[in-house]
Amino acid sequence: MKRPQSQPTGGTVTPPPDRGDPGLARERTALAWTRSALTMAASGVLIARAAFVGHLPALGVVSAVATAILSALTWRNGQAIYRERRDAFSPQRRQTTAFGLLTVATVLIAATAIVVTVAI
Amino acid sequence: MGESRDETQAEKSSKAGASGPNAAGRDEAAASEGRMLRRWLASGARRERRLEQTGSDPDPRFTFANERTFLAWNRTALALIAAGLAAAQFLKFNWHGLRLIIAVPLIVLGAALALASYLHWEDSERAMRLRQPLRYSWMPRVLTGGIAVVAVCGGILAVVDRLVH
Repeated sequence: MKRPQSQPTGGTVTPPPDRGDPGLARERTALAWTRSALTMAASGVLIARAAFVGHLPALGVVSAVATAILSALTWRNGQAIYRERRDAFSPQRRQTTAFGLLTVATVLIAATAIVVTVAI
Repeated sequence: MGESRDETQAEKSSKAGASGPNAAGRDEAAASEGRMLRRWLASGARRERRLEQTGSDPDPRFTFANERTFLAWNRTALALIAAGLAAAQFLKFNWHGLRLIIAVPLIVLGAALALASYLHWEDSERAMRLRQPLRYSWMPRVLTGGIAVVAVCGGILAVVDRLVH
């Protein structure tokens, strides 16, 4: 990969990509997605439990199903990174969409959490 | 395959070079985060395309590091929300409403950090594509301050709640 020389180099120095890297950065990222999926599932359990405690069973069921779907999607995103492993130097995923979904989901979880907190 | 990829890279960089030293990108980075959020809600796909057309691809390892940073902040946000939920359920104050003073700020802080982490990811990604220096984030300061304030409030509330009854 040729590095463009015409680019203004700011404060950051970009070392040339290490061809010997067997995709460890990729693996760390995939594992980070897996951790995020597990965290999402755990928050789902917490929020559903809190909703049932607060006598909001419908909200509990809805949030449990929603967080289950979301954590499955997050998990799949991590697995997709593993699958793309062979071209370790070309991230082609739609990162913005995945990150936006995760962010919106987190904000929705927070909103649900406030509702449940007040209801308990 | 590798050759064609090199070609597209060269094209992209020549385009970026032709359009001046990325003055537009710097303006965007300087835009207020509220405006960025509204634009993001308006169109995600356009956003993605625009980010891809900005500058040239950085070293993928840096992109991955940026992605992991975003995910770590997102998990921190979820942990704060979970802490708020736990506070709401398990704190036993004599006056039941007092626990909201602990729980709600934690949850709001989690939501704010989730939004901010996305904006910070995009900001860093754009800076890396334009080979500009990364900007520091205000998130660590907010997280530290928020946790400290909630902890102090918790201590004061515990004492007051005990003294009143």
